[in-house]
Amino acid sequence: MKIKLTILVAFVFFISGQLSSQEEITIRIKEGMPMIPVALPDFQFTETSLPNNEIKNMIYETLWKDLEFSRVFKLVPREHYSYISRFNANAINFKDWASIQANILISGQLEVAADERIIFSLKVYEVNSARFIFGRNYGGKKDLGRMIAHKVADEMMKHFGEKPLFTSKIVYVSETGSDKEIYIMDYDGFRPTRITFNNYIDMLPSWSANNEKIIYTAYRRLNPDLYIFDIYSGKTELLSSGGVNYAADWSPSADQIVYTSSKNGNTEIYLKDMKTGQDKRLTFNPAIDTSPCWSPNGREIAFTSQRNGTPQIYVMDAEGSNIRRITTEGSYHDSPAWSPDGMRIAYVSRIEGRFDIYVFNLKSNDISKLTENAGRNENPSWSPDGRHLVFSSNRSGKYQLYLVDYDGRNIRQITSAGENKMPKWQKLLK
Amino acid sequence: MKKILVLFVALSLILLLAACGKKAAKVEPVKKGPVVEKVEEPTTLVEKPILSEEEIYQQKTIEELNKYQILKMINFDFDKYQVREDMKSIIQANANWILKFSAVQILIEGHCDERGTIEYNIALGEKRAEAAKNYLASLGVNAAKIKIVSYGKSKPLVQGVDEATYFQNRRAEFVITKK
Repeated sequence: MKIKLTILVAFVFFISGQLSSQEEITIRIKEGMPMIPVALPDFQFTETSLPNNEIKNMIYETLWKDLEFSRVFKLVPREHYSYISRFNANAINFKDWASIQANILISGQLEVAADERIIFSLKVYEVNSARFIFGRNYGGKKDLGRMIAHKVADEMMKHFGEKPLFTSKIVYVSETGSDKEIYIMDYDGFRPTRITFNNYIDMLPSWSANNEKIIYTAYRRLNPDLYIFDIYSGKTELLSSGGVNYAADWSPSADQIVYTSSKNGNTEIYLKDMKTGQDKRLTFNPAIDTSPCWSPNGREIAFTSQRNGTPQIYVMDAEGSNIRRITTEGSYHDSPAWSPDGMRIAYVSRIEGRFDIYVFNLKSNDISKLTENAGRNENPSWSPDGRHLVFSSNRSGKYQLYLVDYDGRNIRQITSAGENKMPKWQKLLK
Repeated sequence: MKKILVLFVALSLILLLAACGKKAAKVEPVKKGPVVEKVEEPTTLVEKPILSEEEIYQQKTIEELNKYQILKMINFDFDKYQVREDMKSIIQANANWILKFSAVQILIEGHCDERGTIEYNIALGEKRAEAAKNYLASLGVNAAKIKIVSYGKSKPLVQGVDEATYFQNRRAEFVITKK
């Protein structure tokens, strides 16, 4: 009887599970590649090194988190390392590591000098063939420990045929009190650096194609104009005049930007040649046209238009022709972001007062929902490798930045001070 | 006779007592209201001058004129940028004032409630400011004296999450920039 009841309960759970998964709009995107199992034993100090565990642990933890985040590598759980003999960089017992299902073994050695300069030596092995694959040495001041770990993680990505992303940065707007300024930080939320110092409203920053400039809107002259800030020279240049000017996106293939402007009376999308300064109007419509965004090959532009009554996402050719509507259901969509592989467009939808991030697959026409039942979610931006997105959400009460995987998994908060909005992830790293 | 008198006196005494008893039962405590002291402002001979529109215009700075909202703001419907019927009289009053003082130039700020995306709200705020400008111009105000700007949802007037709050935030403000 008891067993019967258990089966019945299990069956009911099964049924209800089925039902709820049917109701869910979420469609998980499956990537064909299985993740590569990696073992990351504790780093070791060189004989001459200071035993600075703080630095060692910082590099180790940062690298561990990067690889865990990658969706390319799968870390062999640390507790499994205790089943085998202790790691010795000079005499690696590959059979041991094979026995705990590690395919790749990362060996790290750290030298901390008296002036706290560090040298980190990386050696990567393939476990089954007991073969050394590649190695590298990194040197720098101790406060660059996180950067060293990110560089190692990027090297791992490149070696396994993936695009690097861990040294990439995110530009965003941070508000403390009434001040809205632009900051740049590491992808994981660490090391924020402020780049604007004014008392105007600064907003909607984005990257130039070479990641060397930030283009943003500031209400500097009582009017929202576009400015370009050169990160390396520190110079700021005015780019527009008249009307509102915002939501600029730099072409991945040419020295051009697309942006929204109302300089001729109505918000339209313009294409500006950055060499000549010449503007070309792309939309001609009495309705609102805004939020332009390039396809990764630079041939098409996704944008928001209210030409059929409500804001919907459209795609047009870079010349402004061949306009197609992408979103067909719902009454409020905006903030399109084209994925680096060109296959998907992420955007924000307002449904019954809720703002959530959705992803539209251009090949299959499938729509997946990345956020659910957690505050207002806005301004999605793809990681350079297209496996993750950053977005802003007020789910904690205040607006903060979050990361999420392409399939809605692994949501993680990366900012906590003040309020943080309008993130843009750097473009593909060279 | 004496007996009768005694009886009479006794009877009337009883009656009186009974009457007294009845009366006593009827008496209720008097409810007294709180003592209100009448306060009156001492009348003085100096009377506050009531300024005419012209005098206000002459005497106040632009900041003061804006602070006291000489030009009133208007509100909009959710997701809309058309001027509401009930807001037209406000724009008419604003137009009358602007037409009276030919040196005045204004900036119309368009604002939105928080229930929109940042990018779309900037466009929507711009449309609201533009609608207000066009209506002012239709009432005879020289369009060249009107500038517009949109703040989207970045400058809410009030904080809150109900329709009353949202309504107050969906607005166009008429700011005097020159007089």
